[in-house]
Amino acid sequence: MKYFSKIKFYYLRRVLTNPVDAFYEIRYRDYGSVPLALVCVLLFGLAFTLNRVLAGFIVNDVDPRTVNGLTEIGSVFILFVLFCVGNWSITCLMNGEGRLKDIMAVVGYSLVPLIVVLLPATFLSRLIAAGEEVFYFFAIGVGIAWTAILILMGIMTVHNYTLLKTLATLVLTLFAVFVLIFLALLLYDLINQVYVFFYSIYTEIVFRF
Amino acid sequence: MKVLVSCVMMLLLFASAVFPAVASVVPYESYNYDYWENFVFTPAPYIPGRSISGGTLGAGAFSGPMDLCSGPDGLVYVADTGNDRIVILNEEMTEAVGIIEDFENNGIRDTFNAPYGIVVSHNNLLYIADSMNHRVVVLDGGSAVQIIDNPQSEMLDDGYVFMPLKIAVDYAERVYVVARNMFQGIMVFSEQGNFIGFFGTINVQITPWDIFWRAISTRAERARQQLFIPTEFTGIDVDPGGFIYASNVDPEGVQAVRRLNPTGEDVIRTGENKNLGGDLIADDFGIYGGPSVIVDVVYREKGIYSLLDSKRGRIFTYDHEGNLLYIFGGLGSQAGTFRQPSAIETIGSVIVVLDANRNEIITFEETLYGRLINEAVALRFDGDETQAVEKWRQVLLLNENLELANVGIGKAYLTSGDNINAMKYLELGKNRTYYSVAYKRYRNEILKENLPYVFTGVVLLPVSYIVFKIIKKERRR
Repeated sequence: MKYFSKIKFYYLRRVLTNPVDAFYEIRYRDYGSVPLALVCVLLFGLAFTLNRVLAGFIVNDVDPRTVNGLTEIGSVFILFVLFCVGNWSITCLMNGEGRLKDIMAVVGYSLVPLIVVLLPATFLSRLIAAGEEVFYFFAIGVGIAWTAILILMGIMTVHNYTLLKTLATLVLTLFAVFVLIFLALLLYDLINQVYVFFYSIYTEIVFRF
Repeated sequence: MKVLVSCVMMLLLFASAVFPAVASVVPYESYNYDYWENFVFTPAPYIPGRSISGGTLGAGAFSGPMDLCSGPDGLVYVADTGNDRIVILNEEMTEAVGIIEDFENNGIRDTFNAPYGIVVSHNNLLYIADSMNHRVVVLDGGSAVQIIDNPQSEMLDDGYVFMPLKIAVDYAERVYVVARNMFQGIMVFSEQGNFIGFFGTINVQITPWDIFWRAISTRAERARQQLFIPTEFTGIDVDPGGFIYASNVDPEGVQAVRRLNPTGEDVIRTGENKNLGGDLIADDFGIYGGPSVIVDVVYREKGIYSLLDSKRGRIFTYDHEGNLLYIFGGLGSQAGTFRQPSAIETIGSVIVVLDANRNEIITFEETLYGRLINEAVALRFDGDETQAVEKWRQVLLLNENLELANVGIGKAYLTSGDNINAMKYLELGKNRTYYSVAYKRYRNEILKENLPYVFTGVVLLPVSYIVFKIIKKERRR
């Protein structure tokens, strides 16, 4: 139970109250937990899916037939991994002090405000009429802003960066993510071609004998 | 696209397995769009009636007929453009009761040259757009009572050649002419045949991308680029109130019809999706891709009007609020399909389409489904929403997915005070405004019923807490 010990949960809570201190200690005293962060991402994926399916008719423009919970959660995870790996590869080159596990912990923990906001906001959205959407969108906006600020502070703290350098690395992270996607597609295509090559040999042999 | 494909597959499956007869009767698909702009297949609102060619009428084959209209006396007039004549049919369109090949013009016999448009005024005068003779001929019986040609105005360019295509006349005998290469709008002529001015100009839409592209191209390149000219009108009709319905080809597929008030302002109403351009999904490539090409419009009754699309041969029908009621029709060579539809008209409950390539008149008769929708919309147009509910209910039995019917029923529940049912149907109909009205009422009801308990709780809880504390203190002593 090392990953889910009491102290880890305590630091998850501390991220919300004293983010800079908490992030510092996650980096330098190993109070972060990647599995706990992954649980946060999973919860966020769940909350996000629930919001898309269950948010009230007044604020919800999504065709529920197009929502697949597994796909939604899967995409959230893929985005999370892409962002973390992208950020890690950029900050490695730019004297960042954070390790991959720190980045993952920071980003995962930072999603907590959004989870906390999304669930009640989804419930609230079912109780409002047209003209009262402001409350819902304000709540969601606060959640997103809080999470964004936490991620910014977290990345800044674990890498020991200035604000400007953090923003620059975040922009570069975006590019890194695109490069990662490009490479993944390239790899997929390559493997596919190899597979098709061997498969055609197989069919050729099967048809011949 | 996936939804479309699966819908088509489902339709094919059902059509072949369960209703082999239905598939063979209706040679086209009938559909509508839902709130998310997906295709939703519907029962056929209209089914093909007869195909009427010049031969069956005893008038000889038509040649590229471009327009038809029905007069106040019930007769049907066809502008047989390629044969330079007007063919008059009886009300049932079973035989030709007259053919106008020439007419008397100031004592001389005169003929037509490619008459393109035709319309009959309320006092039974025949207005013919005699295109290649560059004039509009007004006939009373067999003789011309008025000739409108060679319009004179400072607004017209020097050397402008007047070539009228489609034509409409309002109750004050003003003549509205859609002319070739006239991008300023519809030409309006007074009762005496004088050119008054332009009407309902379509503004050119230039996107920022166009501006950027023009800015970086050289003078020589610019000269070879396409000009930004507004689209021309294609069809025209007048409603009893004197409003002009004019169709045009919109390359953006957003607005293909205008309703012009007497000052030439567009006063048409659009539905929830702000679209009056025919097909919403047009992203496939090839000959049949791209937005609908609306070639004619007909005002039917009670605010209902239909558009005729020549790209995919569809007929789109809208109500006065701009809601798409139903879509049917298609291109093909079977009976009831088109090759080059050129004009649309209604005669009673029958929709009549003229095909310039098949040289036929094709009629469509309303089914139960189409009639119920028409009647429900007509009742709503007259403000009789409670009567309309019964019709909408029957429509829902035939097509559960019609959002308009759900909204109609929901509104009726709203007026009768049944908020829960109103919410249910208005949510199915995706109408946020009226849903909110119903929901607010429902919420207030619940609040009113439960507020005493809430306030009692607010008062009682702290009081009991304090009492509890005091008792605890007393006991400890």
